[in-house]
Amino acid sequence: MDTAAHARASSDPGDPHTLGVVDESVAGLRLHALEMGALVIEQVATAARSLLERDMKLAQLVLARESLVDDYDRRLDRDSLTFIALQQPVANDLRLSRAIVRIGRELERAGDEAKKIARFTLTLGQTADGDPVVAVSRQLRHMASLSGSMLRNAVRAADEMDVTLAHSVLERDAELDAEFAAALRLVMSYVLQDHRFLRPTIDTIFALKGLERIGDHATNIAEQVLYVKEGARG
Amino acid sequence: MNTNVVDRADAPTLSIAMEERGAARANAAKAVAEKLDFWYGSNQALKNINLLIPENQVTALIGPSGCGKSTFLRCFNRMHDLQPDTRYAGSIMLHPENVNLVGKDVDPIEVRMRIGMVFQKPNPFPKTVFENVAYGLRLRGFNNRTELGERVEKALRGAAIWDEVKDRLNDSALALSGGQMQRLCIARALATEPEILLFDEPTSALDPIATAKIEELITELRQRVTILIVTHNMQQAARVSDFTAFMYLGELVEVGATSQIFTNPSKKATEDYITGRYG
Repeated sequence: MDTAAHARASSDPGDPHTLGVVDESVAGLRLHALEMGALVIEQVATAARSLLERDMKLAQLVLARESLVDDYDRRLDRDSLTFIALQQPVANDLRLSRAIVRIGRELERAGDEAKKIARFTLTLGQTADGDPVVAVSRQLRHMASLSGSMLRNAVRAADEMDVTLAHSVLERDAELDAEFAAALRLVMSYVLQDHRFLRPTIDTIFALKGLERIGDHATNIAEQVLYVKEGARG
Repeated sequence: MNTNVVDRADAPTLSIAMEERGAARANAAKAVAEKLDFWYGSNQALKNINLLIPENQVTALIGPSGCGKSTFLRCFNRMHDLQPDTRYAGSIMLHPENVNLVGKDVDPIEVRMRIGMVFQKPNPFPKTVFENVAYGLRLRGFNNRTELGERVEKALRGAAIWDEVKDRLNDSALALSGGQMQRLCIARALATEPEILLFDEPTSALDPIATAKIEELITELRQRVTILIVTHNMQQAARVSDFTAFMYLGELVEVGATSQIFTNPSKKATEDYITGRYG
């Protein structure tokens, strides 16, 4: 520990503590956040596929797994609280324990969006003749791919505490927003032509909005990485 | 009182970083250590310490054993003068008079009247409760029985122990519990109405309840006295202090608002120490 050489630089939350039990708590929190992240990534991808491919089984699968996501969220909440109560973390350990709770919350909300998209798939049913989903399928596909990739990178950045990767997630949010605006214009022109599709059009808008929100949750996760590593954000 | 720290601290190195929103703001300086060095024989224990101690606030000194925090604390009331072959360089200016506490022309006895100290282990004199507190006053020439009584009561009340000892003022101080003895020592230090109180690990020998009482007392006392506390208990520093200074190998590594040091220290060495990654 050289006092002069260490200017503004934070140790990685994974760096070993003198007390092994602290390392175990931190490792446990990070592992469960990663597992939850992987589950939500899968939920979002499955929900988007269920919609694009009109696959009821995939939609049912998303709904069935929803409670697992909630379980992880509660577990992260509980384990972070225990860590704070028993180990009294400070500085980057404290920031990490708060970030983990917030990341859990963002993942849980992203999981909710996946659930809503899956429900929409079920409402929409098998009929594929000239409905609004087909009209914006290219945009839906692109938004699903973009938000999915943002979420994957955000979860990976959180697992590896990778600031550069976190920044790359933040940079892509504008692209997703622009794509959403374009899809919205398209689907609105569609409903103006044929009023019979008002209800499915509204649902389609919600599905598009859901994908856009998933990108926001990924952005918020990336911001937590910056908060842990740099401490600058609230 | 609440003027900005920059008013009296000319050197930028002395100012306390306060860019963090919501962090405590430093009062005007009560004392300023500047380019302070200290040697035990040929062993340099303090190296170029620059630190501003804000008035009527609590500054905590933390750091591993041997980092120089107690040595630094003891410079303020010239405790080192009791040991042979010790040497100071630089200054600790006491405001507002601008007296250099470690200057050769300053009388250590007079310094100790103005700067009280409370030690790790309670060390009451083997005298009555009353005489323990009256001792310093008698040294200062107070002999009037009524005035002594009033000042002793005031000091005991100030140390939050009056209600517990008011009926036992003539009992031996050694009959008190550890926590009571420590508060008696604080009363003894308060009796001469010091401007700065130094605490060297004041609760390391006490149970959690007695510790909480001392910590509560420190929080109350800072309205009247400037406080400097050395502690190994990180949570204690976090609970009672406005500012925290981290020392390592005789150097001051980082100083800042306690809320900032414990959430977002700017030096890796500080972070490693407070998160238990040191050594």
